[in-house]
Amino acid sequence: MVEGEVEKGFKEADVVVEREYMTNRRYHLQLETKAAVCKPEASGGVTVWTTSQTIHNTRILINEIFGIPISKINIKKLALGGSFGSSIHTNPATLIAVALALKSKRPVKLVYTREEDVHDHVSYQMIFRLKLGAEKDGRLTAGQLEAILDIGAHQIQAYPLLGCVVGWWVSLYKLPNLKYEGKAVYTNKVPSCAFRGYGNPQITWAVETLIDELAEKLGIDPLEFRLRNYVGKGDVFWGQGPTVKSVIRSCGVEDILRRGAELIGWNKRPKPEEQKGRFRRGIGLGRGFHTSSAGASVPSQVVDWGGAMVKLNEDGTVDYVTALMDHGGGTLEAHAKIVAEELGVPLDNVNIIQADTQTTMYDVCTHASRGVYAGGAAALKVTRQAKQKLLEFASKILDAYPHGLRIRPDEKLGQGVIHVEGMPDKQITIREVATKARYKNWGTIAAIDSLRQTSCPPHFTGYFVEVEVDAETGIVRPVRVVAGADIGTVINPDLAMGQIHGGFAMGWSMAVLEDTPYDPKTGDLLNKGFITDYKIPTAEDVPSTEDFKVFFVDTYEPTGPFGAKGIGEGALNPVAGAVANAIYNAIGVRFYELPITPDEILKVLNEKEGQN
Amino acid sequence: MNVNLINTRILTLSIEYYAPRTVEETVSLLSKHSQDAKVLAGGTDLLVKMKQRLTEPRHIINIKKIKALDFVKEEADGLHIGALTKLRTLEKSNVVRNKFPVLCEGVRTIGSVQIRNMATIGGNLCNASPAADSAPPLLALDARARIVGPNGDRVILIKEFFTGPGKTALQPTDFLVEIQIPYLPKGAGTSFIKIARTSMDLAKINIAAMVKLNGNEISACRIALGAVAPTPIRVYKVEELLTGKEFSGEIVNEASQIVAEEIKPITDIRATAAYRKEASKALTHDALMMAYERAKR
Repeated sequence: MVEGEVEKGFKEADVVVEREYMTNRRYHLQLETKAAVCKPEASGGVTVWTTSQTIHNTRILINEIFGIPISKINIKKLALGGSFGSSIHTNPATLIAVALALKSKRPVKLVYTREEDVHDHVSYQMIFRLKLGAEKDGRLTAGQLEAILDIGAHQIQAYPLLGCVVGWWVSLYKLPNLKYEGKAVYTNKVPSCAFRGYGNPQITWAVETLIDELAEKLGIDPLEFRLRNYVGKGDVFWGQGPTVKSVIRSCGVEDILRRGAELIGWNKRPKPEEQKGRFRRGIGLGRGFHTSSAGASVPSQVVDWGGAMVKLNEDGTVDYVTALMDHGGGTLEAHAKIVAEELGVPLDNVNIIQADTQTTMYDVCTHASRGVYAGGAAALKVTRQAKQKLLEFASKILDAYPHGLRIRPDEKLGQGVIHVEGMPDKQITIREVATKARYKNWGTIAAIDSLRQTSCPPHFTGYFVEVEVDAETGIVRPVRVVAGADIGTVINPDLAMGQIHGGFAMGWSMAVLEDTPYDPKTGDLLNKGFITDYKIPTAEDVPSTEDFKVFFVDTYEPTGPFGAKGIGEGALNPVAGAVANAIYNAIGVRFYELPITPDEILKVLNEKEGQN
Repeated sequence: MNVNLINTRILTLSIEYYAPRTVEETVSLLSKHSQDAKVLAGGTDLLVKMKQRLTEPRHIINIKKIKALDFVKEEADGLHIGALTKLRTLEKSNVVRNKFPVLCEGVRTIGSVQIRNMATIGGNLCNASPAADSAPPLLALDARARIVGPNGDRVILIKEFFTGPGKTALQPTDFLVEIQIPYLPKGAGTSFIKIARTSMDLAKINIAAMVKLNGNEISACRIALGAVAPTPIRVYKVEELLTGKEFSGEIVNEASQIVAEEIKPITDIRATAAYRKEASKALTHDALMMAYERAKR
């Protein structure tokens, strides 16, 4: 893919930097291993309980493979202990369980052992050759990216990924001239599949490292360099490869960087190479984003829509039904808040129904950080429709116009109260309206509908990380973190903050810890699939909440439910870049391969400074 | 090991299981089945190995019901610890914390609380992992092991206990019943340090030191490391160097160099041999400094 004139762009540049980067092959390490229970039904159909990010796509695939009519396949929603992309596709366990149940005519339960799970899915490993050029004033003139993806033994989503990598790349910084070439390569390794960020943490690590290096060569503060070049409000954003684009309407990048810089003490950070002692501290910055959904104004090549149902019960409570999966991050909790807010009922009155494919509308999948932005918008759409019906019924009782009525939550009554402003005698609880509607044979107050978002707004994040490097053991310790996020209206501050803490832990781990190396002689995984030798940080290995400052900047996304955007993936994407830049700031060495282990740090420091 | 042929949720072995309640019963069972029997205590190492088919015993002798081997007692010659004492008990024990802090510091880095509630001190030693975190402290404390076999019991020094990876001085008919730790003399300080990938992990290197001061002179010293040789080791060359010398930064640096030269680490998934050699210098330095500071108090 080419835009503009790349050669000319590089000629105009005063400084050009080209580097090769290699990322790690990370295992998702979700809490439960992939599992399925399949029960054959007398109808000839099946009921399936399985680890899935999308019950409807699972149902469609079972129909395509086994020929069972869709109406006879029922996939039940389950609580998940995280997935991080590893069940975006239907897991093999699901289909094997169905095949065995159909053949044996008995219920089948199939649960991977952890070592089977480790052999079942990992992140894409990527090699980048990245070249950027900039003028003296800090304006980027051209960029060139060659990406080689090691997809392992099966092709799960390699083509969309190749498109997404370029999308993330061009949406970080404005490149007037650019060239991209991407290749996916089969290898005899564990199959790669989606992993939180879908290529974004990898390319953002490479770009954020190179941007830092470029800024340094130009003698420009890396923060100012970023502010001069970032893709922001009014610019075109690629939400999911070349076919999913929209114009950015809300953007808090500058606020994130300015406020974060102040909180961490960016201007007081040490100069690389000036420290000589054993314990050296450094501060690094990484910024990035992720899309919120794969919505676009055109159909595009990516399916992204979902439906929901809202139903008011006779006692004034609300049933909220959706196929959208909550992976444990509290997505549906946010939906309940959206429903409660729009309807004007206490939050406790909104009941999230344990649903399945037979009782829900299609929802594509919980992917692309779309849970709140797209799923929440569908919830809002149907809630508005149900509210309209509610107000029409209430208007008959109160003798007022529907559009003249307001609803407020009354926690004491445990009810939403419909009222006419300034007329205390004209008010009625939702329970009373719903009950009256039943006696008067008016019908149920409910709505069901689908929604396609026509935009894919990026949520922006920025991490400032302070590390301490022990120059004699190579061990890096995270000292302090300041994280800023623009996620539009924050629907659930505690859980959004939780995403950022979790995103940091995962990114820290990507930067310094995780990999699945192979024994070159036998071709076996060195850890044999055992998590004894696949470590991720514990709570003790990351900064305590006192040393971890999270702030949300004040933005409003006009296309989001109550102004909200996503958070799940943006919380991770810039972390590895920030950590790598902090390590550079501490010891004056850049690393081009992940993870940056104590072994590597010690080796490089010894080469540089001589044996101590 | 070919993982594709193994399901670690299923034990396909047919096993004879015994649960003796006394030391004597255990000795007689071991004498009968010594060739293919394994002793089960906390099971945190044995069961994992069985599920991975790294060991396939035909007889399992569960000694957990021998209540007489679960104790921490202060005797005239030192602290006596029953082999079946849980790691968590040692970690929480006031006498261990106050009088043998190095053992507490080593033990509390093993696994998680859940693991330490199951695992026993005897099991951690008999598993004979080169990285066992209870080993360097016990080596630095010059502890002894009481072993029972068909011909009665005997006491050996911990430094003679480990003979290779997974191998100990125990005969197939023997089992470990007690650890004895002499009291530390006045003027002695100890330390334990471990580096690993995360705070809950097997050691890349662990180290324990004991320094006894007479004024500023080192009158006695022991230094022990794990995960840097086929067994947990003492580094006698360093101990000899330091004994009788004035404590100083220079002598500590010299000691650190010797440790790096003396150890024989391997490269594994946790760290390279080169890394272990290099990082052992900093660890030796830190362990000696910490033990010295504590000895001065």
